[in-house]
Amino acid sequence: MEWNITTLEELEDILWRCTACGNCKAAYNYGPPPEFGEICPAGAEFGFEGFMASKGKIAFARGILDGQLEWTDELLDAIYKCTVCAGCQNQCELDHKPFIPEIIEAMRRKSVKDGVGPMPTQKKIAQSMRSYNNPYQGPRRVRMDWTRPFKKAKKPIKDINKEPADILYYVGCTGAFNLPARGVPVATASLFQKLGLDFGILGEDEICCGSTAMRIGDADEFKRVAESNLETFKRLHEERGVNTIVTSCAGCYRAIKKDYVLSSEYDKIMGGITVIHTVELLNNLFKEGKLKFTGELPWKVTYHDPCHTGRHLTKFVIDKDGSQLWKGAYVGLNEEDCLYDVPREILQAIPGIEFTEMERIRDNSYCCGGGGGVMTGYGDWAAKNASKRIEEGMKTGAEHMVSICPFCHYNLNEGSRRIGSEMKLYDLVELLDQVIAEPK
Amino acid sequence: MLAKREDMILDELVSIVGKDNATAAKHIRYAYSYDLSFVTPKLPDYVVMATTVEQVQNILKLANRDKIPVVPYTAGSNIGGLCIPEQGGILLDLKRMNKIIRIDAESHYAIIEPGVSHAQLAMELYKHNLRWSWPVGPPSASVSSNALCHGIGGLSGRYGLNSEEITSMEVVLPTGELVRVGSCAIREDSWHSVLPMPQLDGLFKGWLGTSGVVTKMGVRVHPIPPILKVFTVSTHNLEDMTSYMVNLGNYEICDDLTGVSWWLSQVPIPYPYRPKPDGAPEWYCFGATYSWTKKEKEAREEIWQNVLDEEKKKGTSIQYADYPEEALKARTQLPSRIVGSTKNYTKMAGGGISWPGTFTPANKWAPVYNKWKEILIDHKLSPATRVTNYRGVHYGMLRAMIPFNKQSAEETENARHAIVECLKVDLDAGGIPYKPPVDFAAEINKRAHPGYLSLLKQVKQLLDPNDIMNTGKLGF
Ligand SMILES: Cc1cc2nc3c(=O)[nH]c(=O)nc-3n(C[C@H](O)[C@H](O)[C@H](O)COP(=O)(O)OP(=O)(O)OC[C@H]3O[C@@H](n4cnc5c(N)ncnc54)[C@H](O)[C@@H]3O)c2cc1C
Ligand code: SF4
Ligand code: SF4
Repeated sequence: MEWNITTLEELEDILWRCTACGNCKAAYNYGPPPEFGEICPAGAEFGFEGFMASKGKIAFARGILDGQLEWTDELLDAIYKCTVCAGCQNQCELDHKPFIPEIIEAMRRKSVKDGVGPMPTQKKIAQSMRSYNNPYQGPRRVRMDWTRPFKKAKKPIKDINKEPADILYYVGCTGAFNLPARGVPVATASLFQKLGLDFGILGEDEICCGSTAMRIGDADEFKRVAESNLETFKRLHEERGVNTIVTSCAGCYRAIKKDYVLSSEYDKIMGGITVIHTVELLNNLFKEGKLKFTGELPWKVTYHDPCHTGRHLTKFVIDKDGSQLWKGAYVGLNEEDCLYDVPREILQAIPGIEFTEMERIRDNSYCCGGGGGVMTGYGDWAAKNASKRIEEGMKTGAEHMVSICPFCHYNLNEGSRRIGSEMKLYDLVELLDQVIAEPK
Repeated sequence: MLAKREDMILDELVSIVGKDNATAAKHIRYAYSYDLSFVTPKLPDYVVMATTVEQVQNILKLANRDKIPVVPYTAGSNIGGLCIPEQGGILLDLKRMNKIIRIDAESHYAIIEPGVSHAQLAMELYKHNLRWSWPVGPPSASVSSNALCHGIGGLSGRYGLNSEEITSMEVVLPTGELVRVGSCAIREDSWHSVLPMPQLDGLFKGWLGTSGVVTKMGVRVHPIPPILKVFTVSTHNLEDMTSYMVNLGNYEICDDLTGVSWWLSQVPIPYPYRPKPDGAPEWYCFGATYSWTKKEKEAREEIWQNVLDEEKKKGTSIQYADYPEEALKARTQLPSRIVGSTKNYTKMAGGGISWPGTFTPANKWAPVYNKWKEILIDHKLSPATRVTNYRGVHYGMLRAMIPFNKQSAEETENARHAIVECLKVDLDAGGIPYKPPVDFAAEINKRAHPGYLSLLKQVKQLLDPNDIMNTGKLGF
């Protein structure tokens, strides 16, 4: 399988499109009324221009390429102190805009290739991936622990290796191994059962999607697991009748939708298979009248847009052959894949829910602070970022925050604990599971 | 030995601002070594982020003692390489001093720290239906730095330069001494006016950070009338446009009265130069005017219509014109994220922008522009030129926005050469460049009256005896 994963050198021309204007340092919209807010967790914390948004990251990339910057521990540290949230990307309007996260990750890939990256704590991820096929150093059998309540209740979940099913529920490592986030797969499977969906899981045979490896620059490890997953998807489609892959994890969703397409075989393998986030699947069923609420939830909530289900899924229109503007020009963007409205629609439809918005939302959502390998590399900083987001949520008067990513789930709850807040982060499926009863 | 001294200085800086706010790490310094202009990148030796006035004082005391250059920095978006350290030293990043200390919605002024950005102030002022003369630049850049450097914005046609809107300042002198100018010098919490005292604020305005570090600034702010009307016309040459702009300018009804050449009205500016389509007007003008009532708007429209009729009677090429919508938005919806990201200017060229930016009497606009056009086209650069009236009619901005491909040393040098040539033409016609890079400063000084230069040097010596502040930027 060939992969079209760019090197930093290949991005050299594109990163010279940056003017260092600094627009990317803050989220701002004219309005009226004008809206302004911090957008870069790294810049907000560390302050120096190099840490600030894409402006700073591009400076590092230029310095590395023009030979002025050699690898040092400090440079490496600065490159990894970034959640790859793409908040900065959203502010830029020049031709390199579509490539901004790519530039950041290409620097990381170069550091790994040059034998210096990732950060020592993150190296454990790579090691764990090689030993356990997941970033959590979790033994294979633990992957199934979350299914115990289902066995106990005599509602076993189909093992897709043994039985055919229309839907593969791709659980993801965070939901399976991260104890506080286990509520996510439990609620997902519970809902699917209540809704009578024909789904199965890979169980102990599931392996990591490769998102974390890709985000920290370990392209080889990403390719290894991605190739294996693509083969599995193909086999399940052909042999087990799987037509839909559904995941509740924003990281897996982003990886399969945006990183796997870099494979030369993607179209061939994935033809006929739909990849969908759980919440979109549920919202579709709701709109078709197949999902009905049976209970009420009198909660006051706000919603956090995960970067990976939001702006990371923006599609950029690039003038490839020069027929519209000039060769390589960034022409515009399309947000149809970004899950901004879908979760809000179904969340607000829950009887009893009182919904309020934070200031920084949708494409200008403030990152939970744990992505891009930061939770592993810089746990304290990740939690500190999350505290800021929780504080923003508290300002709305909401009691709880809702999101659709087990990663944000874990980190935002850490952030809340850190400041002694009563606010908890719930996954949307956890709310839905409470207001949808077993069919009689 | 040298390394030791550097370590000691860093230690001292760390003791002032804390270890997370001072560094000599090369990758951090590198990110401050260049900007979007043609100015050659240079590295500072240290980067320091101050958060309090006391820290700024202590940094300057240390720098003054050890004769280390200090470059004040807020966002570095000045388009003149003004924050690129000519002689290394300490890059003093002030962006974290970003408090809006007070908005006096009754007396219409705000007190801000240097790190307050246009975006931040716009959001807060809007809550009081107030505005500032927003530049067409990055919303993340500093309001006070813009004002200090004689910046201009969307209200300059009415109120003049943003530096004229400064009402008071607190400044740390290069020696570390804390001073105040304007009413806040007499009563600590009174920030309403620099007059009627001797205008000591002039010791810091237009000095490009070479005379002290401003730590607080009072600025006049203005109400936002609800009705916007933009008058748009076109002409085939700048002579006709100047006649119209001077005529309309007489009535002082526009917040912003700006003419732009065809190349500047394109989004983005064509790079390299391409001729405008045959028959397309060479100049467009927009006059933004705000009214409180419908009747007021109609009265303004009547004046404008009369002016247009008068100009037509003169037999000029003036016509009513639709101004390209995207370009118009960029001028009236300020601060603008889109134009601030430099899309309108350099998206096609890539990476670089510089300008011959000048204050030039209106009657010199056309002759200078016609020469600029020759020079720029000769260098394969678009003559993307802007003229703007400042408070009345006698003078205004004449500026060509020149994007270039910064990746190429050759194209950067080509732009620099063309721009400096343009500048010489303007200086010889009586214009004066603003936010001048060192290349421009040298040209100014060559032409300056010896008495001016001598006075400038004496004042600089008085304020900055060891020449530590943004050393070299004044071109001597
Ligand atoms: C696309 C684009 C369009 C622009 N359009 C306009 C425009 O329409 N009008 C306009 O006026 N400008 C314009 N600018 C220039 C610039 O963006 C603004 O003037 C901006 O507000 C400057 O702020 P800054 O934070 O970037 O200043 P910096 O570049 O950081 O600083 C400017 C100067 O002030 C000095 N300085 C900074 N802080 C202090 C301090 N506290 N005390 C003393 N000296 C200090 C610096 O040393 C430097 O010499 C434009 C820029 C761009 C990129
Ligand atoms: S990345 Fe875009 S917005 Fe940021 S400094 Fe560069 S050009 Fe400006
Ligand atoms: S991706 Fe996010 S954390 Fe990284 S530089 Fe951009 S805004 Fe900052």
